This record gives sequence, structure tokens and C-alpha cells, in this order.
Amino acid sequence: MSEFIRDGEHYSLDLTIDEAHILINLVEQLLELLGEGDFHHHYDESDPFAQLMSQLKAAPDEIVTPQDPVLLRLLPNAYTDPEAAADFRRFTEPTLRGNKQRILRKVREDLTQMVDHEESGVVEDIEGEVWLLAMNDLRLALSVRLGITEESFERFEALPDSDPQKSIYAVYFWLGWLQENLLALLTR
Amino acid sequence: MCPVKKGEKMSTDTLTPVETDIDLDISQLIDKPWITIVWDDPVNLMSYVTYVFIKLFGFSKEKAHELMMQVHTNGRAVVSSGTREEMERDVQRLHDHGLWATLSRDDQA
Repeated sequence: MSEFIRDGEHYSLDLTIDEAHILINLVEQLLELLGEGDFHHHYDESDPFAQLMSQLKAAPDEIVTPQDPVLLRLLPNAYTDPEAAADFRRFTEPTLRGNKQRILRKVREDLTQMVDHEESGVVEDIEGEVWLLAMNDLRLALSVRLGITEESFERFEALPDSDPQKSIYAVYFWLGWLQENLLALLTR
Repeated sequence: MCPVKKGEKMSTDTLTPVETDIDLDISQLIDKPWITIVWDDPVNLMSYVTYVFIKLFGFSKEKAHELMMQVHTNGRAVVSSGTREEMERDVQRLHDHGLWATLSRDDQA
């Protein structure tokens, strides 16, 4: 079972290689959605899980428009008044976007390092705060694509195992568990 | 409860330090009519929201928990008030942490 480990001020994450690849895929897709690079060459097209994950990605025409609901959730309006919100966004969105990209890049770096040293099975020397924020953003992104509501647990539980949405929900649920796990260590 | 009208307190204890009291009141009226509102969403963990409130606003654990519950049960809560500039900064920091926040004039809340 994957979990975070705290040793004094040092944090690490015990993870299987498969789990690491799932996270890398998610992080890269979110980075792409936030307008950063193309990590497509990292995907293994023969891997059913990678294919499944790629369904989460926005259609190409959506990626360029700020109307994408995932982007709107991650970079929300600061005012309920549309005009004031647009004004504020012009000045502040690049910073917000940049902060989220930086955090995701760091997590991606940690994960690829672990995958490159396959035998360890541990993501070493991670910044707890960075991972906490990254996991939250990943959950927010997944929640929009899955249409998460307060009643989602029952809805997804009732789906047949063959439904791809159910697998994605499982990842969303797992991330929530991991985030809670890390939070408990951070506030210990 | 007995509501105390704004300005009433000022008129009762103004006899000596008139200027200071008026200054304080005016600065409150002019500079602090903005508030930051955090809205409920079905994704952010309750423990995480509490954590963010403590981290960003320095609230006690109890206060942060109370505000989080207010967001959860009422759909929203006012987490800070101040100048427009201060509230814009608070909203940005909340957005950095993935919370759904807006700012508005106090009288429009």
C-alpha cells in the first residue's frame, strides 16, 4: 500500500512503479493543460492504463481556450462580476498558472527520478507542501472531468468494473487518501 | 441582543480623544469594506481546508475548523476583510491552494 513517510523534516513516498507511472501521466496531462510542453512521447500507447488516462485530457481545441472547465476550476474567477473577474485575471492569472506549473514540475521530477531508479520503490526527499498542493490540484482536475458531487461515491460504486470512469474514480479516491495521509504527517 | 448602531460608540467616548477615534472610524469606512469569501465544493478535503485557513490566516485550530464547517454547511464563509488590495492578495493565495474564493464589497455579500 502506497503511503507517505515522515522522518523528522524529511518526507518520502512509498510507491509502486505502476502507481508512479499513473501519477506521472496525470501530472503531465495537467501540465499540458496549463499550457506547458508536450509530454506525449512518455505515454506507452500499448498500456491500457495510459490510454485510459489520456481520456482525461481535454480535446485539443479546448486546451487553447480558457473556457475549459478544469482550467476554470484551477484558475477561478476572483470576482462574481464577470468584468471585474476578467480585469483581475489579466494581471494575476500568469502568476497563478506559473505557481501551479512549478509545483507540478517538481512532483514530476521527483517521480521520474524514482522511476529511473526502479529498484528503490520510494520517492525520496520530497517537499511535503509541494506534494500536498499538487495532489489537491490533480484531484480538482479529475473531479471536473468526473463530474464529482457530494453523492459521487455511491454513483461510481454502482458502475460496472468494466466502466473506464470507475477506474478513474478509483485513482481520484486514491489521491484523496494519499492527500489525507500526507496532511496527517504535515500537521503531526 | 441589542444592536449597537455604528457611530454610537464613538459618540459616547469621544470627549477626550476625539481625533484618534474619528481617524480610526474613517479609515475603517474607506479602506476596509472588502471581504474574501470561500465557497463550498465537493472536492477539497475538510482537513485540508482547515489546514489552509491556519496556514494562510494564522487562525487557531478551533477558529479554522469553525470557518471550514461554516463553508461546508452554509455553502460559504467570510474568511477575511480589509482593503480591496489585501483581499485580492488573500483570494490569490487561496487560489494557489485550490480553494474556491472570491472577493466583494462588504455590502454586496
